[in-house]
Amino acid sequence: MGVMDGILEGAKVAFSFHGILFVLMGVFLGTIIGMLPGLGPITAIGVMIPISYGMDANMALVMMAGIYYGAIFGGSTSSILLNAPGVAGTVATAFDGYPMAQQGKAGKALAIAAVSSFIGGTVGVILLMLFAPLLATVAISFGPPEYFALMLLALTAIASLSEGSTIKALISGTLGFMVAMIGIDGQTGTSRFTFGSASLLSGIDFLVIALGIFALAEVFKLIITRNDIDSGPNKNIGSIRITKSELKEMSGPASRQSVLGFLIGVLPGAGATIASFIAYITEKKIAKKPEEFGKGSIKGLTAPETANNAATSGAFVPLLSLGIPGSGTTAVLLGALMVMGIQPGPMLFTEKPDLFWGVIISMYIGNIFLLVLNLPLIPYISKLLNIPRPMLISLVTIFCLIGVYGISFNTFDLYLLLAFGIIGYLLRLVSFPAAPFILAFILGEMIEQSVRKSMTISNGSFMIFLERPITLAFLIITVLSLALPPLLGMRKKIKSIE
Amino acid sequence: MLSSQNKKVSLFLIVLGVVFVIMSVRLPEYPLVPVDADAIPIILGCLLIFLSILLFFIKDEPKDSEDSEQSEPFFNADRKMLFLFGGFILLYIVLLEWLGFLITTALFIFTSTFALGYKKHVTNIIVAIAIPIVFYYLFNYVLKISLPKGILPF
Amino acid sequence: MKRSLLFLGLSFALILAACNESSGDASSADGDWMPTKNIEIVAPSGAGGGWDTTARMAAKVLEEEGLIDQGIGVVNKTGGGGAVGWAYIATKKESPYNLFVTSTPMIDVPLNGQSDYDYTDFTPIANVIADYGAFAVKADSKWQTLNDLFDDMKKDPTSVTVIGSSSPGSMDHLKFAKFAKEAGVDITKIKYVSEQDGGELTALLNGSVDVFSTDVSEVVEQVRAGNIRVLAVTSEERLEGETISEFPTGVEQGINTTYINWRGFFGPKDLPEDALEFYEQKFKEMTETDAWKEIRANYGWGDFFMGHEEYQEFLKEQVESSKALLDELGIVR
Repeated sequence: MGVMDGILEGAKVAFSFHGILFVLMGVFLGTIIGMLPGLGPITAIGVMIPISYGMDANMALVMMAGIYYGAIFGGSTSSILLNAPGVAGTVATAFDGYPMAQQGKAGKALAIAAVSSFIGGTVGVILLMLFAPLLATVAISFGPPEYFALMLLALTAIASLSEGSTIKALISGTLGFMVAMIGIDGQTGTSRFTFGSASLLSGIDFLVIALGIFALAEVFKLIITRNDIDSGPNKNIGSIRITKSELKEMSGPASRQSVLGFLIGVLPGAGATIASFIAYITEKKIAKKPEEFGKGSIKGLTAPETANNAATSGAFVPLLSLGIPGSGTTAVLLGALMVMGIQPGPMLFTEKPDLFWGVIISMYIGNIFLLVLNLPLIPYISKLLNIPRPMLISLVTIFCLIGVYGISFNTFDLYLLLAFGIIGYLLRLVSFPAAPFILAFILGEMIEQSVRKSMTISNGSFMIFLERPITLAFLIITVLSLALPPLLGMRKKIKSIE
Repeated sequence: MLSSQNKKVSLFLIVLGVVFVIMSVRLPEYPLVPVDADAIPIILGCLLIFLSILLFFIKDEPKDSEDSEQSEPFFNADRKMLFLFGGFILLYIVLLEWLGFLITTALFIFTSTFALGYKKHVTNIIVAIAIPIVFYYLFNYVLKISLPKGILPF
Repeated sequence: MKRSLLFLGLSFALILAACNESSGDASSADGDWMPTKNIEIVAPSGAGGGWDTTARMAAKVLEEEGLIDQGIGVVNKTGGGGAVGWAYIATKKESPYNLFVTSTPMIDVPLNGQSDYDYTDFTPIANVIADYGAFAVKADSKWQTLNDLFDDMKKDPTSVTVIGSSSPGSMDHLKFAKFAKEAGVDITKIKYVSEQDGGELTALLNGSVDVFSTDVSEVVEQVRAGNIRVLAVTSEERLEGETISEFPTGVEQGINTTYINWRGFFGPKDLPEDALEFYEQKFKEMTETDAWKEIRANYGWGDFFMGHEEYQEFLKEQVESSKALLDELGIVR
């Protein structure tokens, strides 16, 4: 059976009454789950497994995929409104989304996020459809040294995330990296900095850090400033109008980052988080006005939102074409497939074309649904910010507490949350930026593990990073991106002196 | 001598870095890998010490006048409220698994909203009861993920 | 006014319901113990993991086949490779309503000094599942049999890199070491890379590593697609099923050892005798239902029922065998 027949089979699945119904259910659930604290797509799909048992496999997968990309789609909401990223992929969204909301443009920020997500998701699906079988080779081209080089490149974002003192940004990043070292070391099994506590053995969860340093610290600040006269014109908060010039501003990052984000998403283990960070720094690097980034830049919001959704589509490449899970969520999806009696693997494409193409085609429909579902809701959701400050403060705090409790159902994590909230607040007091901290925390463990895996493979020789072309290329880009701006600056100075 | 904020912070971070390096060095050895678990932490600790020494010699940047709320929040009258609120969170954590999610959350929302100066008590009570119930129902019955029920039977 | 009335009514209802709770408990005097309230099964991992899926599926079958009348809720206690969940159960001494699901890490994690509790701090009720390990190489690898690989490793153990998903000193590492030791390889020189982000197959396929130590269920599809070759499975005899039955065992290649990843249900320490009997019986009945058999088949889980007595003996042997390996590897914690 040819590819065309497969696509037709898939279209039959996706456009059937049930297909449309289930994708609608999936993206609806996904949006809600993405907005709620602590309920990542992993948990949502995990609990769906026993429920979906006995369901038609096509429909179940269509729905679960919908939950997955729906959650990333909806996940930007709490980042933008509350500075509380619920999944790691939406941390970068808060960089410019939250300042924008603070300026009274919450509705617009949410609308930009929704449109960017839609573009990222749709372009991602198109690429997925055209290249899924071909990209399988790309997906497996990365070993530990390549991942190390890629993560290192992403880490250079610290330099561009610094406002004011570079030293302070670097210190903040180092501290984040140090926190990432807590827990059992993957390569030796040694417990590091756990002080004998079982709860620290698996390290500190991303949500504890994100909600603590970002959201709770923001809550503490709000407590101090709650009696000040509300800043910004709040009446227009729900307006979702995007002007033509704004659309034009979005078009560049959206088109570039949907492709780049997709490609990064294809790599198992990299995923939406890395994609969103790399998108953010590349756009800042090439922007004409990089100083706007971090202060509510439209480009700065568009880039990560496009990239993380495109990456979500990309993550389906290794899953569907190779049976290799590219992320925690796709690993659970893989488990869900197995319980339905389907063995995901390289043969899926030829043996179950209806499933393979059905899911892909349903993702087009899903993305349209997401846009249609989300846009009309935005004016209402953004009114959240109009809740009186005392009530808002209490509710955001509860939001953080439930979110963190939902990770492990262990009150220890809640104490940690409070501790990191205080740390985050103290960092603000001494004007250390928080973004490098969280970036280094997310990347730190992966960088450390990949460099040490590489060293084990090479019997302790550093040559492994120079011998492999992809690794070498990334390292050169990293060095250039760090060295070029200061060099160019020097040239300008010399010229001006002459 | 320690009048500058940067100098105080720097000294604190240097101490932190030294402690971190000492702890790293004392990690048990694992014989089967070329780069052991202590290598990267030692580098990080040293990096922190180095950066903190640089920070020591950097002058405090002048406070932004527009960021008035950041200037002296620690001596603000609201500092007490901050501690009180932190206390509420602490109490919430202590009571959560004992009293259960519903009661603790309702109490937290009501008390802290009240303490922060919200005057419409009836609205406050309704929100404080409705929000936990919605969450509890959603988690325990729709998603079958158990939140602590505590002393309540459901 | 209306609103505060509603509140009063609500809180009154809550108090009433709270009073009801304390009235009835199990009558355990006559030996025929029956649960009288909801049962909690702890999965010491997040939703969607192996433990979680086993717990949720077992709960589903036990409820839907009418084996247990009370509701069964699955509670996730994530962290420390199981240690957090075990510490939680350890506080539930004697409670017949707090079960948990566990597997081989129950042995490895305490031996690696990562948990204060080992299996003797709990009551093993029944084992239900067995998984076997597999050692895979790339399809175009020069090694055709397990002995080809081990012959090269005897000459130079550091020329081969092994990858697995568990941390060093645990399952994937130990089972490879166990087989290598039997073949006469110096196991302290084996290079083992632990990959916990799901990149093991990728690393094998792109040639970053040479051998993948994993579960049988992970490799079947890749073998069918012709990407990889399984050098050996760790079961005593060949496994049943399409493709799977083509995998040779270590035993038939003259490497006389096995490794089993078991999975079963435990209760807290000092679980009352009659409750233990009740659950042991119910889990036995569960494994005999068609619904359970179908779930097992879909996941590729093997059937391996053991009752309480047998289970305890088995666990004792497992600890001794793993401990000996860890000592030889020089991992003393």
